[in-house]
Amino acid sequence: MGAKRILTLNVNGDDYEVVCAPNTTLLEALREKAFLTGTKRGCDLGACGACTVLMDGEAILSCITLAVEAEGRSIRTIEGVSDGGELSPLQQAFVDHGALQCGFCSPGFIMSATELLAENPHPERAEIQRRLAGNLCRCTGYVKIVEAVEAVAQGAEGGAR
Amino acid sequence: MRLPRFEYYQPGSLAEAVTMLSQVPGARPVAGGTDLLVNMKHRVEQPAALVSLTRVSELAGVRLEDGATVIGGGVTLKHVQHDEGLKARFPALTQAASVVGSYRHQTMGTLAGNLLQNTRCRFFNQSVEWRSVRALCYKAGGDYCHVMKKEGVCFCTYHGDTAAALLVLDAEVRVEGPDGVRQFPLAQLYSGEGKAPLSLGSAEVLTAVIIPDSSATDGDTAGGSTYVKHALRGAIDFPIVGAAVWRNGDATRVAFTGVDRSPLRATVLEEALAGRALTPAVIEEVAPLAPKGVTITRTTVQPGSFKRELMSALFARAAGSLL
Amino acid sequence: MKVLNVVGQRVPMHDAAAKITGQAQYTDDLVLPGMLFGKLVRSTVAHGRIKSIDVSKAKALPGVKGVITGMDIPDRVYGIVPKAKDEHALAREKVRYIGDEVAAVVAIDQETAEEAARLITVEYEELPAVFDPLDAIKEGAPLVHENTPGNVSAQIHKEFGDLEAGFAASDYVFEDSYYTHAQNHAPMEPHAALASYDALNGDLTLWSGTQIPYFLKRNLSTTLVIPEQNIRVIKPKVGGGFGQKIDMFAKDFCACWFAKELGRPVKFLYDREEVFQSTRQRHPMYLTLKTGVSKEGKIIAQKITAHADGGAYNSTAPLMITLSCFFVMIPYKIENLVYEGYHVYTNKPVGGAMRGHGIPQPRFAIERQIDQIAKRIGVDASEMRLLNAIEAGEPHPAGFIINTCGFADSVREASKAIGWAEKRGKLPFGRGVGIACASFPSGVANMSHLASGCVVQLSSEGRVSVLSGAADIGQGAETVIAQIVAERVGVPMEDVHITAADTGLCPLDAGTFGSGVTVRAGNAALNAANDIRAQLFPVVAEALGCEVDEIEAANRLFWVRDDPDRSVGMRDILRQYQYIDRSLPIVGRGAWVPPADSATTLLTNNGNLSPNYSFMTQAAEVEVDLETGRVNVIKVLTAHDCGQPINPMLVEGQLEGSILGGIGYALYEDSTCIDGQQHNPSFLDYGFPTMMELPEMEGIHIDTDDPIGPFGAKEAGEGTQLAPAPAIVNAIADAIGVDFDRLPVTPDMILAALKKQREEAAGEAR
Ligand SMILES: Cc1cc2nc3c(=O)[nH]c(=O)nc-3n(C[C@H](O)[C@H](O)[C@H](O)COP(=O)(O)OP(=O)(O)OC[C@H]3O[C@@H](n4cnc5c(N)ncnc54)[C@H](O)[C@@H]3O)c2cc1C
Repeated sequence: MGAKRILTLNVNGDDYEVVCAPNTTLLEALREKAFLTGTKRGCDLGACGACTVLMDGEAILSCITLAVEAEGRSIRTIEGVSDGGELSPLQQAFVDHGALQCGFCSPGFIMSATELLAENPHPERAEIQRRLAGNLCRCTGYVKIVEAVEAVAQGAEGGAR
Repeated sequence: MRLPRFEYYQPGSLAEAVTMLSQVPGARPVAGGTDLLVNMKHRVEQPAALVSLTRVSELAGVRLEDGATVIGGGVTLKHVQHDEGLKARFPALTQAASVVGSYRHQTMGTLAGNLLQNTRCRFFNQSVEWRSVRALCYKAGGDYCHVMKKEGVCFCTYHGDTAAALLVLDAEVRVEGPDGVRQFPLAQLYSGEGKAPLSLGSAEVLTAVIIPDSSATDGDTAGGSTYVKHALRGAIDFPIVGAAVWRNGDATRVAFTGVDRSPLRATVLEEALAGRALTPAVIEEVAPLAPKGVTITRTTVQPGSFKRELMSALFARAAGSLL
Repeated sequence: MKVLNVVGQRVPMHDAAAKITGQAQYTDDLVLPGMLFGKLVRSTVAHGRIKSIDVSKAKALPGVKGVITGMDIPDRVYGIVPKAKDEHALAREKVRYIGDEVAAVVAIDQETAEEAARLITVEYEELPAVFDPLDAIKEGAPLVHENTPGNVSAQIHKEFGDLEAGFAASDYVFEDSYYTHAQNHAPMEPHAALASYDALNGDLTLWSGTQIPYFLKRNLSTTLVIPEQNIRVIKPKVGGGFGQKIDMFAKDFCACWFAKELGRPVKFLYDREEVFQSTRQRHPMYLTLKTGVSKEGKIIAQKITAHADGGAYNSTAPLMITLSCFFVMIPYKIENLVYEGYHVYTNKPVGGAMRGHGIPQPRFAIERQIDQIAKRIGVDASEMRLLNAIEAGEPHPAGFIINTCGFADSVREASKAIGWAEKRGKLPFGRGVGIACASFPSGVANMSHLASGCVVQLSSEGRVSVLSGAADIGQGAETVIAQIVAERVGVPMEDVHITAADTGLCPLDAGTFGSGVTVRAGNAALNAANDIRAQLFPVVAEALGCEVDEIEAANRLFWVRDDPDRSVGMRDILRQYQYIDRSLPIVGRGAWVPPADSATTLLTNNGNLSPNYSFMTQAAEVEVDLETGRVNVIKVLTAHDCGQPINPMLVEGQLEGSILGGIGYALYEDSTCIDGQQHNPSFLDYGFPTMMELPEMEGIHIDTDDPIGPFGAKEAGEGTQLAPAPAIVNAIADAIGVDFDRLPVTPDMILAALKKQREEAAGEAR
């Protein structure tokens, strides 16, 4: 049941041909088939946000998204955020503000915050909190993450990309 | 945790979806997947095939039909909460949509999926390994209920947020199946049972939610609607209790979620309010009636007495905000 | 005044860019050719004898490459504390909790491994189980381990002064009891291991998400029965630990075992549920405090009795109960003190080290009781803390040597900043402020093997390569070490490249626990960098025509202190170094072990427990929703003596993270166990705080300059998690007049207490 077939996933502008069964999640396809391991597996049950990627620009949880659903869509992962080795303004702000410690949740936060700033370039603090609350972090206490996003939102670090 | 195996279909039209659902044995619709796929990973739901609704264009969009507001079943909660028309006229709904899970779930989850999500219990929403410690529970296919400690019953609780809001908005749902289209009040979507909480046919697709114009309020002094949710955290968590209140002039409607096997209108409370203008004194007087007629069980860790108190408190808070 | 260039600066972590771009590699990101995937089978009974295990169906499943049970592996126990080893990688005769490992499978992919694990059936003879430490110590209680009568696997009894005389001399004596619950560390990265075996030379390599690579190596050696020199443990990036990754786990052992047996790399990755159920958690604890005070509030005598719920195995048991004991003797001066602590086995998930390690529990009890006593005898709770404050340089009953202590200042500053005088007892009903205090060691001193080593190489191009055993688990240990080396060698951060926590390359280190890394491994790095200076500076002195002790170094430049125009660059110096025919790279070596009179174990001896001690007072303001019982933490501030921060930004990060962890401990997180089964093993049901729960935070630096820590540093990683919970619960008491004596304080408890309060008020009125 559920035969495997070759899917073409467009990730960060590249077409990846990956062999997946219907029950392969997008997270599994990215990490285990395309070897894009920047997207993290934190809970695997859609409750922590570590696996957040952009699908047609929207931040979604790849651990509860089927890979087959991603076919024909445009996927963006953390590997596609920095441009030719140069950090995006958001990434730079996270680094400068110390908005990461162990770094395991960081790719997910960057994806969620990238979506937020693309849709609302100047969010208030409460809006930042609401929009990023689905991303759990156990190290930072979130303070510096909020500050980093605010810095970009207020233009201190140039716009999001 | 890997998903079990299943066949996958991706219809491009509603007709095609209905055909697949009626012809493929064991097929189930999937929309955002945020409820169903988690349950499948836990192996408490194991459909043989999934029919994806994400490319069914008939389920998209918000529109007006003869004055009534029609929201496509496939519209995401993110879309719902940002729709200016809905925000202005049906704030209870947009508020409820904006507090479901986290913004990630609101982005992925659809309105139909939210209404049709499965009921929940601390003994049910667990992995197959976790559940193997005790006898298979009744809802998962066994005989025994670990909450009630007896056989053949299930009190799995409904925790969806938007249903309470849509109940006070007197919404109807439209479903399309092999036998055609039917439309009926939202309350009838729920069977009142924990084990099989929905009254939908297996090949039926919920195509739209219809809110009558008469439920629209414009935020003036005479009316309004609101939804308040209590959960442990400000995000991610399902409601421990959610309360929706709609008011127009002297008419008041109240509904709850998180307290019983289906979302429900607070009939005892509404009767006590019938024909009376809402005032702080009236709210205080009737609030203790909120839990009347509700069967609260320990499907979550919170004690029933707490949930009952919350029902009164959240009603009072919601109603108070509409004065 | 020291002029520093790299130390003391807000330097981003050296690997921050790698993490923020997704390039940083954690264990589960690693892939080796031919890799197999493993899955563990776990006990479904809380206590039982294994009658039989049927692995035949699993073995027959296509794609399965191996299945083992406890009877297939050497009968060797492991554990982090040598004296307290009690755990088998896979259970042999008996299982002791739901989640105990009984078998393991490996297969060609994860899906097959999971399926195979579900095909293994185990037949148990169920035994009576015990789930509460107070039941477990009773006569006739089921024995979790047959060799441990009474189920007490570690205990400590310490007495200072004369307790009874102290009580007799007190104006008041109060006895109160408290309970603290199980908290899970919940690091974002689930536990993982990847092993590979080179059959030709018998070398085993394990990549593991661990905090203790060297202890892990040792435990692998004894359990696998392979010489230590054939084992190399490499710690990739670790996605948070908080103490939970201090131990060997079945995944480490099984990955190695299968890799060796099958000659193929093997990976084990825990599900989130397994992290909750089968790794470690903060010990629940019952505490009874009997405290004698003068009418001014001076603590004259105190007796503390503690029963820790250890779960099914020891893990750090003796160390935990010892820390719990010693840290009730600080930050208050208590002349007459008795601490009696028991680590008790139960058939439950296993307790282990967690941020604060045995100390948050008594701190909750002590800080709550101080507030309650202050109220009862009519003194100010902040004043009472000041009255009892310990000072630097005083003789200490247990032999602590406290060189620097900003404690009293921290009480004053925190009280001032929270608005104690204006707010305490004066805010409207439902709103309140509270404070609580703590102190923490910078690593534990008098245990024999807690040494760190460091090697620094300065290459002919001026590249500075550092080898350190320290295990960075996200707190920034590598960055701090690199900063220290950069500062001393006189180069910018970008010249320093650190390789750490690879037991095959790096010098020995104890690992990340006890908040000792900055002081211990930092001092080792400092010594190694000084060794570089000792070799390099004579050449510099010759070039500059000055004495060695006149040289200043920074940013690849050396100059004469009083004549900065006389300078020379690093490149020139290295060229001259070569020219005079000295060999390059220059290699500096350093080691450091906390000064201790003897390599004692704390369980039996007193002494200076730590090289130095941090101090803090934390203050909280809360608002209680009187209708829903929800507590909104508005603000938490910390007056913090952590010595001189090597990196203030990282210190803030530790502080902020531990405050949110403390809020979770106080209000949100409860790893519930019902009938022996962990009940909320997910990030949905175990609700640690989200960004929505973020209060306003403020840090106030209390300036001290410690003589022992590198550049005056003290610990900053764990201490700040001790006081937020009692500060918050004290603030709740101020807000609604209810004295909670157990954690967590949840909305249903608040509503029930308010209801009782109303009923009592009505009763009195009647
Ligand atoms: C961590 C977490 C937290 C959550 N918190 C909340 C919360 O606070 N409140 C809340 O309400 N929900 C919550 N959810 C559940 C879920 O995310 C939402 O209910 C969401 O709206 C479900 O929508 P979906 O489109 O993803 O549904 P799906 O999972 O795709 O479907 C749910 C059910 O509806 C059926 N279905 C879907 N669409 C149709 C259709 N058009 N016609 C017929 N049948 C259909 C499916 O067959 C399935 O049985 C949470 C989920 C997670 C993982």
